[in-house]
Amino acid sequence: MALFIAKRLGAAVLLVIGTILVAFLLTAVLPGDAATARLGERAAADPEIVAAMREQLGLDKPLYEQFFIYVSGVTRGDLGDSVQTARPVMTDLQLFGPASAELALAATLIAVIIGGGLGIVAALRANGHLDNVLRALSLGGVSIPIFWFALIATAIFSTRLGWFPSSGRLNAGVVPPPRVTGFYTIDSLIAGNFPLFLQAVQHLILPAIVLSAAMVGLLMRFTRASVLDVLGQEYIRAAEAKGLSGRRVVFGHVLRGALVPVITVVGTAFASLLAGTVLVEQIFAWPGIGSYAYRAASTLDLSAIVGVTIFVALIYIFVNLVTDILYGVIDPRIRRA
Amino acid sequence: MKRSVKLVGAAALIAASALIVSACSAPAQNESESAAVESLVIDKSFDLVTADPARMYETTGGIVLHAVYDSLLTFADGNADKPLPSVASEWSVNDDATEYTFTIRDGITFSDGTPLTSADVVFSLNRVKNIQGNGSFLMAGLTVEAPDESTVVVTSEEPNTAVPAIMTSPTLGIVNSAVVKKNGGTDAADAADADTAEEFLNQTSAGSGPYTIESFDTTTETVLVANPEYWGDAPVYDRVVLRNATAEAQLMDVQSGTAHVALDLGSDQIAGLGSDVVVSTSQSPTIFFVFLNANPAVSEITSSPDFREAVKYGLDFDGILELAGEGAERAYGIVPSSYLGALGPDGAVERDVDRATEAASRIGGDLTVDLEYASDFSSNGLSMGPFAERIAAQLAEVGITVNLKPGPIATTLESYRAGSEQMGLWLWNPDYPDSADYLAFGPGEVVGLRAGWEAGAAPELEAVMAEVSTETDAAAREALYKQFQKLHNEEGVIIPLFQPAASVVAASAVGEVKYDPVFSLDIAAIGR
Repeated sequence: MALFIAKRLGAAVLLVIGTILVAFLLTAVLPGDAATARLGERAAADPEIVAAMREQLGLDKPLYEQFFIYVSGVTRGDLGDSVQTARPVMTDLQLFGPASAELALAATLIAVIIGGGLGIVAALRANGHLDNVLRALSLGGVSIPIFWFALIATAIFSTRLGWFPSSGRLNAGVVPPPRVTGFYTIDSLIAGNFPLFLQAVQHLILPAIVLSAAMVGLLMRFTRASVLDVLGQEYIRAAEAKGLSGRRVVFGHVLRGALVPVITVVGTAFASLLAGTVLVEQIFAWPGIGSYAYRAASTLDLSAIVGVTIFVALIYIFVNLVTDILYGVIDPRIRRA
Repeated sequence: MKRSVKLVGAAALIAASALIVSACSAPAQNESESAAVESLVIDKSFDLVTADPARMYETTGGIVLHAVYDSLLTFADGNADKPLPSVASEWSVNDDATEYTFTIRDGITFSDGTPLTSADVVFSLNRVKNIQGNGSFLMAGLTVEAPDESTVVVTSEEPNTAVPAIMTSPTLGIVNSAVVKKNGGTDAADAADADTAEEFLNQTSAGSGPYTIESFDTTTETVLVANPEYWGDAPVYDRVVLRNATAEAQLMDVQSGTAHVALDLGSDQIAGLGSDVVVSTSQSPTIFFVFLNANPAVSEITSSPDFREAVKYGLDFDGILELAGEGAERAYGIVPSSYLGALGPDGAVERDVDRATEAASRIGGDLTVDLEYASDFSSNGLSMGPFAERIAAQLAEVGITVNLKPGPIATTLESYRAGSEQMGLWLWNPDYPDSADYLAFGPGEVVGLRAGWEAGAAPELEAVMAEVSTETDAAAREALYKQFQKLHNEEGVIIPLFQPAASVVAASAVGEVKYDPVFSLDIAAIGR
């Protein structure tokens, strides 16, 4: 198992280096001038001010020197400074990353419970009326445009019913809990502030439900297919023939066999959620990586662009690593292979 | 197996119910609204970058820092006609507008209780000049000295009647020089490299304004609290939260009551609001314009006087205006309607399809041009796309084919500033509330060069520009600005289209909140 993990980690390091190189080179060929993009009309017309800005951003140096400086910084944990926040990019990632992670985790949890649960129900009721309804719902989940769903959900549950807030992680002006994990739900519980925890949950629910819609549909279909596949196995028939209860057959035998492909989907979908929350974060004013990345791209904030690219790459690498390890835990045959 | 189905289904149902119960058990937003009015929540789509006034030159930054820092002069009540005393209790100017003497008001203290003196003014203005930031151009050609603790003298190399208007800018807000120096600030000539006070000022304000900064974040929200040391009338709201939200989120927030003021709603969004909000609509000084590149190297078509005539008479300005929504006004000249010398409808160009078609036919050949504009940028709730489409449709009727070339602003800005766009659709927000700012639209000037309009291309127009820039008599200036715009319109290189409306939506509990044409929003004036 240790060798298995070591090999995966080695490959991950190579992937990160490659990502940095590609991301850096791509920003170098981006159309637009990152220096003048920061300047107003009058300032951009002043050569001295433009030169000062280029020097401040390090753009006055040759590309290879810029790359070397950047990589040297990365090895020290310095991803440069963001011009949109006037903070180190690393600080921004530490601030915005947990916000997106909290949202993505909540969405994944919802998707696993609802999508996974309904997928199992659909498989156990295969080809019946309930299965047909659930399959139609799952198709709706993966098809629904997320921005439309977000706006409708906000209009109904926030504006009309007032059940959930329409934006932000907390009410306006409320001081966040002391930072431990960056997850407002967890940090407020750690701080013993239960009303703040409830407020954080209240803000989290609607965007998490919206974000989970596609994943619910996807998981439902995958779980259904995976469970059906396992249900057809002879060892399941043998278990039933032995007189084991239905619950024991499903939870003791079927799920274990069906979990492997489902975990793959959950892992990949979670990584996609974490990296692709831009629309939801914009609509719900959720200060996460998605919003940060969008602003970075809009303002040619090069350090932030490369920093986010590295961050997203690391997420995918980490999630794939964890998924691979979980395979080995769930199915010993995989780690022996 | 059936029991398994029921168990799984029950588990899913319990989980869903737990979520709903937890949500409903938390206090609903509207129940806390009456308490939250003490903490005023203002939604704005942020372009916030810094809380350092010397480095600030954005709309949102101006809103924040106008509340935190006082400038020598100011405007009030949405009136941009004449600067009013602020830090300076009075001022005088010499005959040729090259020297302004400001008397510092007695009794002003910074938020830490330190008295504000002329040395702080000199430090603040020189810091802006030498830091070489976005707002440094405001001090171009100006030097500042303090002959004594209560007097500041601003000297201009050339006659400059715009100095009082310039001195109202939040970028020229007066900072506590001792505190800023202590935290890495400098006004020396090398301030661009040597000044390191931004990080401090992003956490702690050092001003004398009605508010201080409690917390500052360029991406989520910035919180201001009333300054107990403020020398003027205390603001109504002790605590103000300026929150980053898109226009769509602002609409939801103001409808649900989670925001008390929304600054970026367009006329279509406002039309759907109920009676529990107060809408205040006024004229924005922003000018939307289209230009035709005058550089033959960029386009032989757009640089042709016949083409300019074809476009000028081919555009249906009312048809463009209707897209701008209620409250928008046609721009008859490049100077906004509320500024000295603004043109009115007399003598305005009206659409003449026959004349435009004939002008186009004189050019001959294939009249196909590219119209570039920013596809991801909006102002006052208006995005460029619909206007570009309308312009293309109108010019098609007179024989001109316009290819629309939208692009992200980060890339289109570069081609615009490089002067390489054949046609461009852009807008201009005033740098300071004075007509002199709009000389930038002349040949050889900032915007003129974007349109490929080099110095010397319009001698008569440039002569008027030179004359008005040194004229100090108000009546003469007004006449000269009108003449400038008439000649400018005749050239037809840059065609002003309209001024949008600026609307502020406020909860009825807050009352009317007016748009400020200079600062966008005067937070301290809300509720008065």
